[in-house]
Amino acid sequence: MNGVFTQLRACMTQFFKSAQRELGLILAFFLLFPLGFLFFLSILVQPSFRPQILVGSIMMEVALININVLAQSVAQDKQSHFFDLWVSFPVSPLVYVLGNALPWLPVSLLTAGVTLAMGIYLFGISVAVAPLLLLVALVLIWSSTTGIGYLVAVYGGNPRQVNMLAQFVGIVMTFFAPIYYPVTALPLAAQYVAYAWPLTWGAILLKALFASNLTQAAIAILVLSLYTAAGYALIALGLRWRAK
Amino acid sequence: MRNGGGEAVLEARDLTKVYAPRRGQPPVHANRGISLTVHKGEVVAVLGPNGAGKSTFLRQVAGQLLPTSGTVRVCGIDVIASPLAAKRCMSVIPQECSPYDSLTVEEHVRYFGIIKGMDPRTAPGETSRLLSEVGLTEHRTKLIRELSGGLKRRVLIALALAGPGNQLLLLDEPTTGLDPASRRTVWKVIESLAGKGRGVLLTTHYIDEAEYLADRIVIIAQGRILAEGSPLEIQSRSASKGRLDIYDVDLLSAAAKAELDSLKGVWPVSFAREDHLRLAVPDPFSPEAVARLQGLSGLGVKATLAPASLEDAYLTIAGEMPET
Ligand SMILES: Nc1ncnc2c1ncn2[C@@H]1O[C@H](COP(=O)(O)OP(=O)(O)O)[C@@H](O)[C@H]1O
Ligand SMILES: [Mg+2]
Repeated sequence: MNGVFTQLRACMTQFFKSAQRELGLILAFFLLFPLGFLFFLSILVQPSFRPQILVGSIMMEVALININVLAQSVAQDKQSHFFDLWVSFPVSPLVYVLGNALPWLPVSLLTAGVTLAMGIYLFGISVAVAPLLLLVALVLIWSSTTGIGYLVAVYGGNPRQVNMLAQFVGIVMTFFAPIYYPVTALPLAAQYVAYAWPLTWGAILLKALFASNLTQAAIAILVLSLYTAAGYALIALGLRWRAK
Repeated sequence: MRNGGGEAVLEARDLTKVYAPRRGQPPVHANRGISLTVHKGEVVAVLGPNGAGKSTFLRQVAGQLLPTSGTVRVCGIDVIASPLAAKRCMSVIPQECSPYDSLTVEEHVRYFGIIKGMDPRTAPGETSRLLSEVGLTEHRTKLIRELSGGLKRRVLIALALAGPGNQLLLLDEPTTGLDPASRRTVWKVIESLAGKGRGVLLTTHYIDEAEYLADRIVIIAQGRILAEGSPLEIQSRSASKGRLDIYDVDLLSAAAKAELDSLKGVWPVSFAREDHLRLAVPDPFSPEAVARLQGLSGLGVKATLAPASLEDAYLTIAGEMPET
């Protein structure tokens, strides 16, 4: 029997094979977010808000893409009933989910890197963080949203509804989750809700790292690790895998 | 008859599935205590109308659906308690399932084969062998979206055969929706699978498919087994041994009509349409039956006399079915 890593590598390879055939779409994804960011910064925003906009854009690129892509590919598998076949394979649901999510991680990281570089070199935003630490933070933000993507897919209904729900999560992220503005800008009651949402912590982590606030970063890392562990545990335990 | 005396690869006991009620609907009792065994080298067909509970049964065996009660063992492994281990020795083709449009035939078998336990080093060679086994060699570099329904079904069969674990193959309506020629090809492929010491369990609502492929037929309706046996055994359960079919009934002469009326007094009508009548004949080889047929022919009536078919038996059995 093949181990989890061999299985995962096969998942990724088949994904990249089919991705080669949809390169245009992926490139569009890759360009869209940095361009949006550029637009925000050059036209709409006062210099003092720039670091927050940088944080918000990177959150979109790392967290939103993960949720959307995962929810939609699982929903498509349900539509085509290939999901049934996946369930019949001798494979952990975690391998299936990571096989769908992981191929997009490099795309997300690359986009985030381009956005970051534009922020630093074109707009003079100062970012005081070790690259390796930043990379770890981005991967953590990504993994803390994997559970959400899976939940949206398996509880979201048919693919059209899943699509709508994923859009809805995107809208919530953009306007209501404090990623484009500080969490303290919310009314107090809303702050409590915001703190229960991993994306808020992702934004806190990035801001703390950019400002070298290591205590706050450590707290955010702890919270995001808990979200990651909880999400992966739900998936690995077979939530909505074998039907009831 | 293939060797059905081997060890059991599937043992289902008293499988019951009640789907939870949805929005004001009552709960659905899809399987009401189904017990069934498949041995190595044997093809078993579960035959029944739409909604009989065939897919529900198969999905429970495959570890895709949790039974309400009962037990399932595949290769001796408890599917309910250890689904991952059980899945290592069986392969499934779900009823409705399309492969990925933007992958090729070869890529499907190779990468999903590895996921199912094929050795990555020997995967390319193994893939070619499987593709030739199901007759897909010439299509191997085509994308799925370029293929017909029958070819897609064969991709799924190749995928089911990939990897070390296919002592039990589960095929849910393998030819539904295919044209007659593709159906025949898929039949040939399925036929060749059973010879290799595996057990095959397929579901179908086509009587001819069950008759062609199966060593044993299990007829189910409304979640229960109504009959089980070899095609011959099932066939012998027909209410009568033969049938007399009379065509163009609406165009008969007066003399022919009179003869037909007297026949109806002797043999019961089992099927009637404006232009087609079928009578149940107790013994189609008796001198009386043959004489009656000749009498009809002499009057210019188009008629045929034949032994009862599996379909007659199926209708007899289904007729005994309790209404709910
Ligand atoms: N997920 C489900 N939820 C509720 N009822 C279902 C579900 N799947 C199937 N059924 C019902 O169970 C019965 C048996 O269905 P199924 O096993 O698909 O039959 P078959 O495969 O023989 O056509 C049908 O009445 C069907 O409507
Ligand atoms: Mg079915």
